[in-house]
Amino acid sequence: MIHNKETIPQRPAPKGTIGPIAWLRGNLFNGPINTVFTLLGLYVLYLLVVPTVQWAFIDANWVGDSREDCTRAGACWVFVNARFSQFMYGLYPSEEYWRANIVFAMFAGIIAWMVVPRLPFKRWMALFALLIFPVIAYVLLHGGYFDLPRVSTHRWGGLMLTLLLATVGMVGALPIGIVLALGRRSNMPIVKTFCVIFIEFWRGVPLITILFMASVMLPLFLPSELSVDRLVRALIGLTLFQSAYMAEVIRGGLQAIPKGQDEAAAALGMTYWKRMGLIVMPQALKMMIPGIVNTFISLFKDTTLVMIIGLFDLLGIVQAALSDSRWLGFSIEGYVFAAFVFWIFCFSMSRYSQYLERKLNTGHKH
Amino acid sequence: MTQAATNTSDTSTSDLMVEMRNVNKWYGDFHVLRDIYLEVKRGERIVVCGPSGSGKSTLIRCINHLEEHQKGEIVVGGVPLTQDVKRIEQIRRSVGMVFQHFNLFPHLSVLENCCIAPMWVQKKPRKEAEALAMEYLERVRIAEQATKYPGQLSGGQQQRVAIARSLCMHPDVMLFDEPTSALDPEMIKEVLDVMVELAEEGMTMICVTHEMGFAKTVADRVIFMDQGQIIEENAPEPFFNNPQSERTQLFLSQILGH
Repeated sequence: MIHNKETIPQRPAPKGTIGPIAWLRGNLFNGPINTVFTLLGLYVLYLLVVPTVQWAFIDANWVGDSREDCTRAGACWVFVNARFSQFMYGLYPSEEYWRANIVFAMFAGIIAWMVVPRLPFKRWMALFALLIFPVIAYVLLHGGYFDLPRVSTHRWGGLMLTLLLATVGMVGALPIGIVLALGRRSNMPIVKTFCVIFIEFWRGVPLITILFMASVMLPLFLPSELSVDRLVRALIGLTLFQSAYMAEVIRGGLQAIPKGQDEAAAALGMTYWKRMGLIVMPQALKMMIPGIVNTFISLFKDTTLVMIIGLFDLLGIVQAALSDSRWLGFSIEGYVFAAFVFWIFCFSMSRYSQYLERKLNTGHKH
Repeated sequence: MTQAATNTSDTSTSDLMVEMRNVNKWYGDFHVLRDIYLEVKRGERIVVCGPSGSGKSTLIRCINHLEEHQKGEIVVGGVPLTQDVKRIEQIRRSVGMVFQHFNLFPHLSVLENCCIAPMWVQKKPRKEAEALAMEYLERVRIAEQATKYPGQLSGGQQQRVAIARSLCMHPDVMLFDEPTSALDPEMIKEVLDVMVELAEEGMTMICVTHEMGFAKTVADRVIFMDQGQIIEENAPEPFFNNPQSERTQLFLSQILGH
């Protein structure tokens, strides 16, 4: 018995099952319990959002230059305004801000270039960013060359220091993490043992302890003529600490790649490094994007801990400004501002990672 | 063969592609391969069959050192297989392998899958590697899918790409590790057809497979393994019609009996 001689043509779905109204009915108001939750949620949202907007925007003071300009009805952003350059540059001398600005602008340009898919020469840009940009940034920020007055690192601070710590930490931690992860999976016992000990040591110690050790204990062991800059010590500590975490994220990703991939590459005669570099790592890194970005975000926020060894990152400089006797009582504004800046950066990283995941996935699925 | 290690004075072994002598392997305490002797001449087609867990996959995986044997001697194309990584890679370049689960590289297109080894292992320029890849993709009748990714292809198509990928390295011998076991029934034929053509062109092949029809058409010799040993070895006609050992008879009755 033949049921359908001809293919049944596609027909549209019945009215009222698609579209925004149907979505609302289907997801927010389907049944009494869900309706109650929806209304309750809207009410809580109302309770939270209205006073916040009132405080932060409507009743807020924006312009002025001293605390007399604050009505105290809402937030007084005058405080943030007055201290803004300090929050950005720390104690960097104001007549030299242009140097930091050039570095900021180049940094932003590089990021934008790498992120916007249409722009060409990505490889050269990456090389420039990794090899030449650090030299330019160092010469400009530190000075001492080409008649630029020296600005020693203890005057660096604010967002500039936060970005410096985070960027160096990320750029350093990823390759070290990859090497450690490969080492931990290696068949060579010495390499494996070294990597396991390294990872477990750095993971087992709180970052604060490492920073303390880097700033207090290290100089005791090193000969006095070999004094390493405090910022450099913090950078090394932070990078090695994060690379241990990175190594574990990457190891997880490597484990998720089926063994057959490595075997197929091996059967074609590829060497270990080609198998890893061409076949296993590209697949693993793609899967590890959420984990890597997670580590980057936590690194970005962990940079605030350098406050305890006397480096003034964004939060540290906000904290310092709060104890200024002319501006007592503006801690909420200060912390909200710091939180907002951190959030902007972390949220951007999170969004970019989601975009990257989507972009890389469409390549071979459907 | 141009390998320096080839022993040219010994004429009796010069046309042997694969030699396995007294090969033994253990997984921990488990003795997976027991005193394996196998010689495969250039151009010969061998089918290895046997119940699961009999060590047939392990046997062919030892030939390109995906598994390491602990005792005995394996010589591939005149080159003895040792621990030396350079030696292993040299042997792998001349031995193609097709896996049960295809193991195509999912992050590369079909064309890139075929080009990557010629380009990075044999240092061929991209143009030349691509031309070569297209030639082999055409031979396995899948050239029109060259820009697609493995995830977009059916199992049978993927396995044909995997065969083309191996052929691009111009191997002297091809190992097939249950190439049709993971396929839907309607796709088995398209893969077997390609394998039959390959056999007719004179490729040296060692196939682990349960496709007895394939064994009857192309095999020069059928090898039956059980519990890590070679139980019986014969030309297909006597092997199927007049099996000597009881275990072979039982096995054949189980796979042919329905």
